[in-house]
Parts: sequence; C-alpha cells; structure tokens
Amino acid sequence: MILEETARAVLHEAQKSGADYAELFLEDNESTRIEMIDGKVESANYARISGAGVRVLLGTQSAYAYCADVSEQSLMETARAAAAALGEAKFSPNSEIKLSLNRFITPVKQPFDTIGNADRVEVMRIGARAIKSASSEITQASVRYLDQVQRVTIVNTDGVYVTDERPRTRIYLQAVAMNGTEAQTGFVGPGSCRGFEAYRDVIDVEQSAKVAANMAVTMLHAPECPAGNLPVVIDGGFGGVIFHEACGHSLEATAVGRNNSVFCGKLNTKIAANCVSAVDDGTLPGEWGSINVDDEGGKPQRNLLIENGILKGYLIDKLGSRRMEMPSTGSSRRQGYMFAPTSRMTNTFICPGSDDDDEMISSMAEGLFAKKMGGGSVNPSTGEFNFSVAEGYWVRNGKIVSPVRGATLVGKGSKVLLKIDRVGKNMWMSAGMCGSLSGAVPTNVGQPRIRVSGMTIGGKGGAIE
Amino acid sequence: MTYQEFATRATAYAKEIGCASSELYYANGESFEVNANAGEIDRYSVSREAGVSVRVSLNGKEGYAYTERIDEPEKLVDHAADNAKCIESDDDHPMQTKQTYQSVKREDSALKYLTESQRIALAKRLEQACLSLDARVKRVVYCTVGYDSGAVVMENSLGLHAERSNNSSYLFVMPSVEDGLEIQTGFAFRMGTEAASVEDCAKEAVEDALGKLGASPVDSGCYRVLLKPFAMSDLMSAFSPMFSADQAQKGYSLLAGKEGREIANSIVTIWDDPFDPVAPRAFDGEGTPCVKKAIVEHGVLKTLLHNLKTAKKAGVESTGNASRGSAASSVGVAPTIFRVEPGKLGYEDLLIELKDGLVISELEGLHTGVDSVSGDFSLKAAGFHVKDGVIVRPVSNITVAGNFITMMKDVVAVGSDLRFGLPQGGYFGSPSILISGLTVAGN
Repeated sequence: MILEETARAVLHEAQKSGADYAELFLEDNESTRIEMIDGKVESANYARISGAGVRVLLGTQSAYAYCADVSEQSLMETARAAAAALGEAKFSPNSEIKLSLNRFITPVKQPFDTIGNADRVEVMRIGARAIKSASSEITQASVRYLDQVQRVTIVNTDGVYVTDERPRTRIYLQAVAMNGTEAQTGFVGPGSCRGFEAYRDVIDVEQSAKVAANMAVTMLHAPECPAGNLPVVIDGGFGGVIFHEACGHSLEATAVGRNNSVFCGKLNTKIAANCVSAVDDGTLPGEWGSINVDDEGGKPQRNLLIENGILKGYLIDKLGSRRMEMPSTGSSRRQGYMFAPTSRMTNTFICPGSDDDDEMISSMAEGLFAKKMGGGSVNPSTGEFNFSVAEGYWVRNGKIVSPVRGATLVGKGSKVLLKIDRVGKNMWMSAGMCGSLSGAVPTNVGQPRIRVSGMTIGGKGGAIE
Repeated sequence: MTYQEFATRATAYAKEIGCASSELYYANGESFEVNANAGEIDRYSVSREAGVSVRVSLNGKEGYAYTERIDEPEKLVDHAADNAKCIESDDDHPMQTKQTYQSVKREDSALKYLTESQRIALAKRLEQACLSLDARVKRVVYCTVGYDSGAVVMENSLGLHAERSNNSSYLFVMPSVEDGLEIQTGFAFRMGTEAASVEDCAKEAVEDALGKLGASPVDSGCYRVLLKPFAMSDLMSAFSPMFSADQAQKGYSLLAGKEGREIANSIVTIWDDPFDPVAPRAFDGEGTPCVKKAIVEHGVLKTLLHNLKTAKKAGVESTGNASRGSAASSVGVAPTIFRVEPGKLGYEDLLIELKDGLVISELEGLHTGVDSVSGDFSLKAAGFHVKDGVIVRPVSNITVAGNFITMMKDVVAVGSDLRFGLPQGGYFGSPSILISGLTVAGN
C-alpha cells in the first residue's frame, strides 16, 4: 500500500498548475483465465496488471496520466504530466490534506489464491460435460473461466483515502450445435462478486450449461425470424440489456453533462410508460456489478432512475457533477489504472411490476418473444439502439408457434420506454461486461419479463407457417 | 530491476525447473490522447506502459503468465509453469527459432514531430472546423487526437530475437447536427500519415451527419445493396475468425476444409498483406516472418490463416498469422492486414450499376449482431435509398440481415474506392461492394 507521505507529495505535485482537485488511483490486479475446448484445457493464463493513474480537475477541465511503474519517482513524474495539461507549475497548493484510511474488503470464504488450477478445471469440466451430454447435435463445448482480485487504493484532495479489494469470478459456457452445413451457438455467462465459493453457493454451472446447450439446439432447428414492426415480449434477466442500452447509457453524466442525451432536462417529466420504474444499485451484496466504493472513493448507492414513468435521477461522477451542478451518485467506475473514471452503471434493472408473465404472450396476436438477448449498442445523442436476440420465438394468436433465429431489435430508447405495456412480477439479473469511455466494467442488467407494444424486428425470414 | 536482468533470470529459472523452452514478450509504450470540447481540453491522457509475458513449454504443454511489475521473475515463471501443468490439449505448439526478417519501413505518422501543444491545437481546430462548416452543426460530441509509440521485443531460449518499434497517429470526430426536427451525428477519422488532415476530416464528418437529416426507414424486403468501404471492412473484421485455422480446427468455422473450393464470386480477391503501407510489419506474434498471400483468389479459398500450432496440426507451414492481442494475451491467430482487391468501377458507376436499392454506409452492433460460427448477421444500418441510379433520400433505423458466406457469393461488382476502417485490433480495407440481395427490416 502507498505511504501516506508519498500520496500527499504526488497530489501536491499534481496541483502545481492550479488544479482544484487531484486524485491518485493505484491498482494491483491479479487474474487467472482458463479456456477449455471440448472438455480439454486448451490454455491457461495468469496476469498481473499493476499501475497508477493521476487525475487533475480544474473546473470542468480534466487531465489524466498513468504509468505501469509505481515507484515514487514514476508517480511524481506522472503527477507532473497530468498537471502540465493545465498549464505551468507556478502554484503552491495547500498540502494540509487530512487523510484517514478507510479499508474496504469484500467478504470471501474461499479466496482465489487458496485454490489451484485443478479446482478451477474441475468446475469447468462440470460445464463442458453438461453441454456435451445435452444433445447429439452438440458438436462443440467451450468453457472459459476467469477469476480476479483487483486491489485499489484511491487518495484525493477531498481527503478520501481508501483501499478496496474486489474479487470477481465468471464462467462463460458456449455450446455449438451443427447439422452438416449450419451451425448455431448458445451461451450463458454467470458471474459473481465473491470468492471461489460462488460455484458452491450461487452459480449452478450444470444448469447454466444445459441452458446454453438447449439454446444452440433450439436455434439450429429454428427458421429465420421474419422482419416487421410488431409487439415484442422480452424475458427477464439478460433481457434488461434493452434498458441498459436504450436508457441507462443516456442517463450517464458522460452523455447528460455534455448535452448529448435525449434525457437532458427531463428530470421529473414522463419519459416512460407508467408501469416502468428503474434503479441502478451498486450496493447489492455479492452481485456481479456491485462495488464497495466507487473509483473516485465515493460511496455507491441505490439510485432511483425512473419512478412510475417519471425520470428521477441520473448517474453522476465527480466531473459530471461539476458539469451538471448536481451531486455525485457514487457511479464513478473504470476498468483499471489505464482509464480515467467516469459515470457508469453497476446493477441496473427495471423494477418488478404487477403483470402476469403468461398473459403477455397469450394476449398477443402476432409478434416475437425474445427469451434470451444478445448484446447491443446505442448512440446516446440520438438514443437509437440495436441489439440481437440470441433465442427467440414467434408468437401467433397468443401461442408460441416456432423458435426463430437471427432476429435483431432496433429502435429509439425514448420511444420504446413509452411503449412498454406490461411489466412482470419476477425480476432477476444477469452478468455482462459493459464497454464505454472508461473501459470494460462488470455490470448486471436485469428486469422482469416485459412487453413492448411495437418495435422494429430485423430478420431475413419469410412468414412463419 | 531492469528488463534485461528480469529476462536473464526468468530464462535461467525456467531452464532450472525443467522447461524445454521459454519465451519472453516485452512491450512498452507511450501514449497521448486529447479530446476538445467547446474550445477547451476536456479529456487529456498521457501514459507510459510496460509489461512482460513469459511463455514456457513444460512436458510438451505451454503456459503463460504476464506482469506489469518488472520484479520477481521466478514467481512469474512459476505461474506460467503452473498453467502449463493444467493443459490437457494434445496440440503441440512449438516456439519459433532464430529467423531473418525482411526490412520494412513504416512511414512516420503525421503527429510524430508535433509538440504536445500543437497536438492540442489540432484537436481544437478540428472541433472549430466542424462548427464553422454549417450552421446546423450545433455541437461536437467528441473530437479526439492521439499519438502512440511503442516497442516490442520477443526472445526465446531457441535463439529467436525479434524486435520492432512503431508509432501511430489518429484523429476522429463526431459532429452533431440539428435542423429543428431531429438530431443526427456523423463520424470521420484520419490516421497514419493523414492524421493531421483536420479540414478534410471535419468536412467528411459534417457531410456524413447532414446527409442523414430526414432519414427514415424503408419498407421491409429484399434489396440490392451497395456496401460502402467501412460497412464492408467492418463486416470483414467481424467475420475474420472464419478464416482462422484455429477456429476451423476447433469446429467453429464453416470454412474448415474448404481450401481450394469456391467460397465467393469469382470477382472477389482478398489479400492478407502484412506489408501494406497502412501498418507494415516484418514478423507475426510468435516471430514468424510475415508473408503476403491471397486468402481468396477469384472466389477460391486459397488458405486459412495459421500460426505454428495450427500449422503443425494441419501439416502445413505457418502463414505468419500468429497474433498477440497484447503482451498479456496468449498466441492466437488473426489476419495481418486484410484487403479486398479493388475493381475498376467508381462510386458513381456503382450507383448506376445498383440501379434500385440501398447504399449502406454504416453498420452498427458488430460486436453482437454477427455470429462468426454460422456466418449470420443482422445489423442496424444507415444509408441511402437509390432509385434508377440516383440517391433519393437518407435511410435509417433499418436492419440488414444476411449470411457472410452467401453474401460473398452474391457479390456482383467491386468498386475502386478502397479505404481502411478505423483499426480495432486489426486492419481491414475494402472498396464499395455491390451485393445482389440482402434482407432489410424497416417499416
């Protein structure tokens, strides 16, 4: 851990060109990745990412410098490099910052450094076996495993001095089904912010593997999805990616603070159907997107974003807070020391509603049931998004008539939110990696099953018989 | 500890614990990036990075470990050896031996000799240029100028020694335009030797944005489609894993075993050209000398891409396509510089050839809307509706769906307007390509 004296000296150096805020972020991140193809371990890799970043702010100007070498000399040079962006070093900043250490730690039953590769491989093998034995049409099972512990220290001129230890693990199961010329894939990637005990306590690898295998086989026998503008039912869990893309990104200060969001100036106005409430909550214990402390040393919180269709809040980091003249919401995150932090999501979900899951489909004349979403992207300026449907079913006269493949959903976030006409009762979340300005961070998306009264469905199929 | 000291100790220790061979991959670099907003610097980042990866071969299996702390070499080798011990695949992955390399000259990129303040001024000028081009440009969403330089040193106990240094420059900008009814954004970039062409870049980005005003979907159906260079190069990038022998050997590519067979229309030729001036390099990610070769020649698949491991398994020579995403990643397979051989028709000629259909200038959602195993794609797209060879209006909020393999057979014309897309892990270039039919979802 960094000595307080060094931290003080670095922050002092960083403020010499007049910065009104300086921050030091140190990271030491150890990870193990193992890949298994067809039941055999194919590769294993260990990585230790280690370095530091210094950020300075002057009003809404920001500069960031980072280095892999964390010696005191290198940190001082890095502080000078950040300061140089704001001008000449001619100020003598106040060096009497009061620092008192606050240590955070995620409670872990089985730390990753107490288990060996053999333990990891055993868990992976359960997944590989379950995929392969699910169907004779499965030709390939791939399992990727990751565990990591990110140790960070954050010190800033507001007096923040915290350390945090963040364990995370994820297993990514992929099944390929083939019949001669065609191939389809299915995947599931559960993750948890816990130690290795996650595989005993919360992640059912065998069940996840079966879901992935079933998805590949079902899609192999699915005709192409027809195209059109029709109602779409989106299932819970990873279905929440619609909200993440269509709305979440446009509520980040990165977009709102620069006037690049469709939701600018819409606080306390109606932006969604009355049945929609949504939250970003980084405090949920053990969840994939949870944090003990944000990457500016701030306290994460449960942020109410939408309440009964009314916009209630944004996701704001320190720089965003200056731009927007609103308080930070504990939403500052970064992949690691190579990125300046910015406003990001944690565990973001549509809250449970009061509608019946089955009724959403049985009351639909024709449309799509998107059981499993792929990922997607959005242009925050226009709110236009697109995402893929990994497992879809065609619905006619209230009944599922066929699985369909190759569907995508396209639309504008602001319009889709208003067109949600059903929100189910059971909410669950799924792990994902979200990429943005400050790199890839683990986030959970979630929702109950919902229905959108009309959306552009992309696909290349003809009418479903 | 110096890197040299680290390397010597790591190599000696690997030998001591019984590794048949060991290899070090050291990368260091510096980067600079600045983003201008409303005439001020609003994001600014400078860095110095270094990392070393050790790869060992122990009892015929290989293991990797990477660190950014140049200390404790023995501990890193232990991690790599531990990883080697859990490998179950029987594939042999030999390390490269001592090689001689062709000398390649990469032209210095445009921002190399500029001072930091000149680079910052460039970013501000880029933003200003966009704003002053048209009154409808209200804002610039981002406006970024960057410069990286770095070096890679690869050496192993079999005598391999390969090193290179390079530098790259880029600028990219996204102006936002409004006409009272709607907001649209445009995008343009310049890289390498053209990375100081601010006015040029601003003009392209603003024209891109203005061209989209008034865009709406077309009716769903099957359309003749002219894919512009970036749309096609993005698709190639997304489907490039299909050409990897590694993917093929693992059962993830429909091109497995298709060497010598026709996989595209005979007017299609695709090169893997490591010496293309856009980013030439002499050796690949495991030190094998690079070679230029046709991957698809007049529609026929000539070869898949190999590294030493996949080549050994297939009983062929490596094609010099070992990849190393970064020093932290293991050796994989990837194209060097993929390029569709341009044809003779200019863009205007292609519009006439297209007659009735769509020009697709951009595709979105490439990280999710494509399946490189099945070849299927369904992507959000934007472009123009063309009637009788003339652009009639902009089109947005549609998806274009097809299958990459089928599409390559449906190519009916290849343009002369070759351009490389913004590199995202690799370089992909294509001219505009006319496709006889793709499925479009809109109204």
